[in-house]
Amino acid sequence: MQATKHPRLHQLAQTHQLKGLMTIIRDQNTERGEFVFYSDRVIRLLVEEGLNYLPVVDKEVITPMGVPFQGVAFEGRICGVSIMRAGESMEQGLRDVCTSVRIGKVLIQRDERTAQPKLYYSKLPKDIADRWVLLLDPMLATGGSAMKCIEVLLEAGVKEERILFVNLICSPEGALAMLQQFPKLQIITAEIDEGMDERKFILPGLGDFGDRYFGTED
Amino acid sequence: MANTNNQTSTLMLKSAGRPPWYTPDGKNTPAYVVGIAGGSASGKTSVARRIVESLNVPWVVILSMDSFYRRLTPEESKRAFDNNHDFDHPSSYDYASALQALRDLKQGRAARIPQYDFSTHSPSSESQLVYGASVVIFEGIFALYDPAILQLMDVKIFVDTDSDICLARRIKRDVAERGRDPLGVLQQYDRFVKPAYDGFVRPTMNNADVIIPRGLDNDVAIDLMIQHIKRQLNELSATIMRPVLVDRYDSRPHGLKDTLAMLPQSTQVRAMQTILCDRGTPRNDFIFYSDRLSRLVIEYGLGQLPLEQKSVRTPTGMLYEGREMDVAVTGVTVLRAGGVMEKALRSVARPVHYGKILIVGDPVTHEPRLHYAKLPPSIGTHQVLLMDPTIVSGANAMMAIRICLDHGVPEHCIVFLSLLATPQGVQAIQAAFPSVKLVVALLDSRIGKDDLLVRSGYGIFGDRYFGTEC
Repeated sequence: MQATKHPRLHQLAQTHQLKGLMTIIRDQNTERGEFVFYSDRVIRLLVEEGLNYLPVVDKEVITPMGVPFQGVAFEGRICGVSIMRAGESMEQGLRDVCTSVRIGKVLIQRDERTAQPKLYYSKLPKDIADRWVLLLDPMLATGGSAMKCIEVLLEAGVKEERILFVNLICSPEGALAMLQQFPKLQIITAEIDEGMDERKFILPGLGDFGDRYFGTED
Repeated sequence: MANTNNQTSTLMLKSAGRPPWYTPDGKNTPAYVVGIAGGSASGKTSVARRIVESLNVPWVVILSMDSFYRRLTPEESKRAFDNNHDFDHPSSYDYASALQALRDLKQGRAARIPQYDFSTHSPSSESQLVYGASVVIFEGIFALYDPAILQLMDVKIFVDTDSDICLARRIKRDVAERGRDPLGVLQQYDRFVKPAYDGFVRPTMNNADVIIPRGLDNDVAIDLMIQHIKRQLNELSATIMRPVLVDRYDSRPHGLKDTLAMLPQSTQVRAMQTILCDRGTPRNDFIFYSDRLSRLVIEYGLGQLPLEQKSVRTPTGMLYEGREMDVAVTGVTVLRAGGVMEKALRSVARPVHYGKILIVGDPVTHEPRLHYAKLPPSIGTHQVLLMDPTIVSGANAMMAIRICLDHGVPEHCIVFLSLLATPQGVQAIQAAFPSVKLVVALLDSRIGKDDLLVRSGYGIFGDRYFGTEC
């Protein structure tokens, strides 16, 4: 299946404006302040879109004019889980729309002996099994770390259909592999790219998101 | 020269909010233009002020012809510094600029009025932006001289004060306020002022509709003329807004045009709207969700704009076919509530220019009144985002749009952003301004006719956000 057509892979509305934002953050000449500002703006849009996959219930309220208004109310508790370190860049975007949201953190790195992603650290809210989880990692390349992280979440009792993986850019092969591995997972992304290079960098991508966001490039 | 300062300045007089100056279809009704000519020190300005005081029109501008002295040649300039240049000759004025300014003001557009610096005998580098006068008074010795300017005038007045009274005033004024010696004033009078008056100014009396002998002392003539102007102004304002807008409350809206873009009604948007519509929502939540929803509306509004193509190279060395905004954006907020959305625009876009408009509803008629408008000078070339959280009758929005058009913004360059609108309001705006785009997060049709508020909506948005409920 084509990644762009997958029913559980949700792209933000492809407006000129979004394209404009992505152009700034992808441009190798963009300086860091701009990179952070415009990444944050895309992240906010992604978080807003991700929250739309949470359930709501019908609710009638009385307006200041004293008449009823048929609306809806949020239902279901959420938390964020960021994959260190790049995923931490997305935490503020989540906090800005969900004040005092609980956030778990997971550190996953490549084990140089096995070339497999390995869990080094995880700290999750203790009632995470009852919550919806917004999994935060800006770049979905092979999906190795994210898949490892989802395994950790499932072990902690999170229901697979309650995991929303939010990222800025994904490779089609990485996204499809994840959706196949986890048949109830939903992915929310801004843009789906062409593929990956031999170092598993997304193409055309934007380079190393964490380095550019936190200013640790060589 | 009627001014005591070194620079001319145009006098914009505001006594109250300005009621709508356009018809329900969004077209400006022309401003009323009064021309006042007469000899130097004949009392033109005093007559102008008397008219302004008596008319009870909220926004009036008194435009002095002195602002339109033309630039002198180097030789003329030298003579001017030797007190030897004839400023009282008809050729001393730039009639084309005056005509352009008067034409703009008459048609309701913002006009840039030059300032003349008497200390350098040249137009000053500064100019003054004048906007929003319902009555324009153009006064000067040659106010009734240029045929094209005469055509713009609704009434033409010549103040015919006895020449020895004029001379006496002139001596007094120039000696007291400009430190000149009486002999010099008399010489100038003999050489320039008197011949100019007899040869060029006095003959323009033939162009006048009314001649006021004895100037300001002539109460009867001035009163008669003011009565005449009042009658004509009443006829003009009879065509204005309110009756039609009130009728709209009774009509059922049908067929909104596709210049309206609704924010996608996602679950989050609906849940936020529910919180905002709930009268039990505490104020800090009301603020939080207004801000959050505003940001989505701003992003969606920006998403409506076309961007130019641009490719960039990414750090992986590959090309990315992207887009780039190559036009400046101005956010214009309709105060007070529009300020809430300005905050959201600030947090997503930079650098952006900001304009502000204060419109207040008349407590009895609910008709909008313009109190203040300040827009960036270059706004005519910008993409404009107009912001007001609620559109009810559409009357405030129409006034705000009209102000942008009057400042040179093309209609299709305006996007109006709102959190809640009534279909009636949207329809009124679309009927008047078919090219303005509207972005709205909630359509709410239950309007109360008596209080002209949305029945099921937020209540008074500004009061709830700013905590100023009664």
